[in-house]
Amino acid sequence: MTRPPVFLAAVGLLIGAEASAQLRVPPVVQRVLPGRQPAQPVLVGIDALRADFLARTGGNTVYFAGDSFGLVPAAKTNLTAQAQWLRQHPEVVVSIEGHASPLDTRDHALALGARRAQEVRDFLVLMGVPAAQLTAVSLGKERPVGANSRVETILVR
Amino acid sequence: MLAAAVAVPAAAQQAVPVIAVPPLSSPADKQTSAGSTLAIAWQATELIAQDLRTTSEVLALPPNQQKDFYSYPEVTAPTFSRWRAKGAKALLTGFVQARPDGRLAVGCYVYDTEKGTELGRTGFVVAPDDWRRAAHKCSGLAYKSLTGAPGIFDTRIAYVARTGFGTAQSSRIATMDSDGLNHSYVTPPDGLVTTPRLSPDGERLAYVSFSGGQPHILVRDLDSNEERPLAGTSLPSFSPRFSPDGNRVVFSMTNGGNTDIYVTGATGGYPQRLTTSPGIDTSPSFSPDGRSILFESDRSGTQQLYVMSADGSNQRRISFGGGWYAAPEWSPDGEMIAFTSRGNDGLRVGIMKADGTDARVLTSGPRDEGANWAASSRELIFQRVDVAGRPGIYRVTLSGGEPRKVTVPQDAADPDWSGARE
Repeated sequence: MTRPPVFLAAVGLLIGAEASAQLRVPPVVQRVLPGRQPAQPVLVGIDALRADFLARTGGNTVYFAGDSFGLVPAAKTNLTAQAQWLRQHPEVVVSIEGHASPLDTRDHALALGARRAQEVRDFLVLMGVPAAQLTAVSLGKERPVGANSRVETILVR
Repeated sequence: MLAAAVAVPAAAQQAVPVIAVPPLSSPADKQTSAGSTLAIAWQATELIAQDLRTTSEVLALPPNQQKDFYSYPEVTAPTFSRWRAKGAKALLTGFVQARPDGRLAVGCYVYDTEKGTELGRTGFVVAPDDWRRAAHKCSGLAYKSLTGAPGIFDTRIAYVARTGFGTAQSSRIATMDSDGLNHSYVTPPDGLVTTPRLSPDGERLAYVSFSGGQPHILVRDLDSNEERPLAGTSLPSFSPRFSPDGNRVVFSMTNGGNTDIYVTGATGGYPQRLTTSPGIDTSPSFSPDGRSILFESDRSGTQQLYVMSADGSNQRRISFGGGWYAAPEWSPDGEMIAFTSRGNDGLRVGIMKADGTDARVLTSGPRDEGANWAASSRELIFQRVDVAGRPGIYRVTLSGGEPRKVTVPQDAADPDWSGARE
């Protein structure tokens, strides 16, 4: 339940920030309470990285048509931006999560999610992202949201 | 309740054999650690009648504790005319006896009341607390005597117990007896698991866990609760199913985005690759003789059913009816294949002959899938997501009729049914 609300909040924050000025880094990073150590700086870091990734790439999710695993033009545009960001952040490790529709059957959905994740991974590698940064996984139809024929790029660390 | 149980349609009465289940007898009413033998005998009688009522192929007359009394000697020498007069084609008698060693002897006999002949008998010596299992065996004897098929009363069901929705969903494997008793959770809460598959004897469980990110198959001994990965690989693996002898597991593995079918020993070994198509080959299922493997593949462009020899040779398509066919499972008697049909109107469960002909859909959908056979080959268990989006498990008989929901403590998905236990 945590992931989408965090993303939505972060997107909202950054859209607001970009509209008003060019605030490049979310304020959470800069906020250090006087007299206290910053709590869990690594977590603050990944949250900031995720927010920045979303803001600069236009989103961490690409969508597929029906039962296909081919990348549509909009997906390639988004992934090109993702690849550019990932090349600038070689320390960031990402998990590429493939999903499929609840109207697919369970085993086929797992295989199709894996196929889609592999397509995204291959495209990012083609765009110059080191393969070691990327792990493709499938969640099949086990994590349904609204639109399920999708691949999410999740920043792990 | 009594009237409702008796008032069956005339047509059904003709087609379905009626069996009388008068209260089991006891040579002497003695106390045991599970109650008196006559009290256990009555509970066992009610359980047997209840077992048979869960099938739509045998009609058990409701037992009457007062009027149906018979003496211990009559267990093996019943008055057939008495039960014929009640409309019963068959009769089950039995006894519960306390033994000097503190255990119970439970015996059952099934008779043809028209011919006056014995159709079968079975007997067990059990700990007093295990009388239920002995009663299930009596139910199985009655069912087999009247239908010719193995009973399902002493079988286990495994399924995925779910809580929460969407990305907050968590799941764990649960098992229970086919009548819903002895329900227990096998894996810890807050996990993400799917596809539990019982070994034919119900003693081991193969399932898919997403712990660590990738889906991977684990095999667990249900007695010791020890478990280990099926294949020593970091590649994603899923869709496990045991061979009929329980010694092998056939499954799917994904390499570079391509999913194929592999087989390996249930206790380890190097996976042998069986398919090489660039499409998605998954949902494998052994034939009852272990010589063939049924699976689905989208190599033709749509999901269809295929059969191959157990070594991967001689792959051939068997579904040609139009539409998409997925998740096949061979019936225990080898005659039929259960499948999930996939179309614009959703997912439905159906059956076809083992050669792929005579496909017909059994359920109305729109989100029914993952059918697995009862040991009797006459009933299926499957997953249905209802209109409110809640998944549950249901049973449907091949003879048709509305699927019946299986009562479990929470949302439930992806059921599997063991074979008859020895």
